[in-house]
Amino acid sequence: MKEFEMIEPRTIEEACQWLGKFKGKARPYAGGTDLLVELKNGRVLLDALVNLKSIKGLDKIKFGNKKGLTIGALVTWTDLLESEVVASHYPLLRKASESMGSVQIRNVATLVGNVCHASPAANGPIPLLLYDAVCLVRGVKGERLIPVGKLFAGVQKNILKQDEIVTEIRLPLPPVGARGSFQKFAQRKAMELPVVAVGTLCRTSNGAVAEARVALGAVAQKPFRAQKTEKFLMKNKTDEQCLRQAAEVAAGECAPITDLRASKEYRLELVKELVYRALKESLP
Amino acid sequence: MKKTVKLVINGETHILEAEHRRTLLEVLRDDLHLMGTKKMCGQGECGSCTVLLEGLAVNACLVLALDADGKRIETIEGLAQGGKLHPIQEAFIEKGAIQCGFCTPGMILTTKALLVKNPKPTEDEIKTAIAGNFCRCTGYLRIVDAIQSAAVRLRG
Repeated sequence: MKEFEMIEPRTIEEACQWLGKFKGKARPYAGGTDLLVELKNGRVLLDALVNLKSIKGLDKIKFGNKKGLTIGALVTWTDLLESEVVASHYPLLRKASESMGSVQIRNVATLVGNVCHASPAANGPIPLLLYDAVCLVRGVKGERLIPVGKLFAGVQKNILKQDEIVTEIRLPLPPVGARGSFQKFAQRKAMELPVVAVGTLCRTSNGAVAEARVALGAVAQKPFRAQKTEKFLMKNKTDEQCLRQAAEVAAGECAPITDLRASKEYRLELVKELVYRALKESLP
Repeated sequence: MKKTVKLVINGETHILEAEHRRTLLEVLRDDLHLMGTKKMCGQGECGSCTVLLEGLAVNACLVLALDADGKRIETIEGLAQGGKLHPIQEAFIEKGAIQCGFCTPGMILTTKALLVKNPKPTEDEIKTAIAGNFCRCTGYLRIVDAIQSAAVRLRG
């Protein structure tokens, strides 16, 4: 790796100032499982890393019965898997955590890092999009709240300014009575990005769809909520035909590519099948 | 840029100067000559470099030496005590779970971390635990057997 300086700030303010000083030649460093690989293969060249692990308090998962869940920047995937509040209140986040990487990676890698790395195929964004998660972004000028979906600018690009850090992700309470599904198709059972990832979170009231959230990954430049599909579901029944039609609408919202894992044609077929299965699981 | 780090490896304290970019794997093998931890993909994909950091299995190739400052590290060299093999090592030998041996140190440390947390793992739990440790020789079945056998041995 090219030589770099590890800066160890004591506070977030200090961290943002350091990032600002390095003008894009420094990045925040948490788990490092994506960043160090990029530094090793020279895809990213930096003069410094700003170590978030020297700042206290970023490793907490907090839950309140009214506020919902807060996940700090240093919370690892293993922390998420061991969290009772995640298991009972945010099962889709737990499901996504189970199929991420390996034990060794999950012990070190962070959810916030996964989101900031902005891979269109990453596991993390899917449940976060479904739960309407919001990122707390702090910089030298102050802080702002950005919905997860708006954080992504493109393939492995986010909208953060040079001095900005996502310090936590906030998930409101999920709608009462909502059921969800997380469907990931990959060539291997572990250690693999999804070829296609689908997440749904739905709620019915008196037999009609009262809430429909559909998130898709690995089928466009960014993970996204399939809004046309959601609108379609809201107007419709939950019979076989409607679910199949909804899946077709979802496929129409995708712009997958052909890459080493699958062709775009196969991805579209997968979307149709996985959206159907996910909806079937989340709509009784 | 260098930093003085204190690494407690298999109970022994080592104090050394490490460049900020130096990985724990490089320190173990190149500075301390503990060659049991293997170097392969360098990207956290193969698990050959698995060590235990504060009891958690990690890929040493993706841990910076300064991340491990002040922390407890266990490598394969620390398992056998006074010339006597650890029950996990004995189980691996007995079940024929070692061929070329390259994946073995990582597999055994991953196993140790698993069995400390979960002394009675199911077959699925074992497979999930070793999903980050590649083996090109054995086809994994004997490794799963060895881990089940080690679990029994450790439960006494």
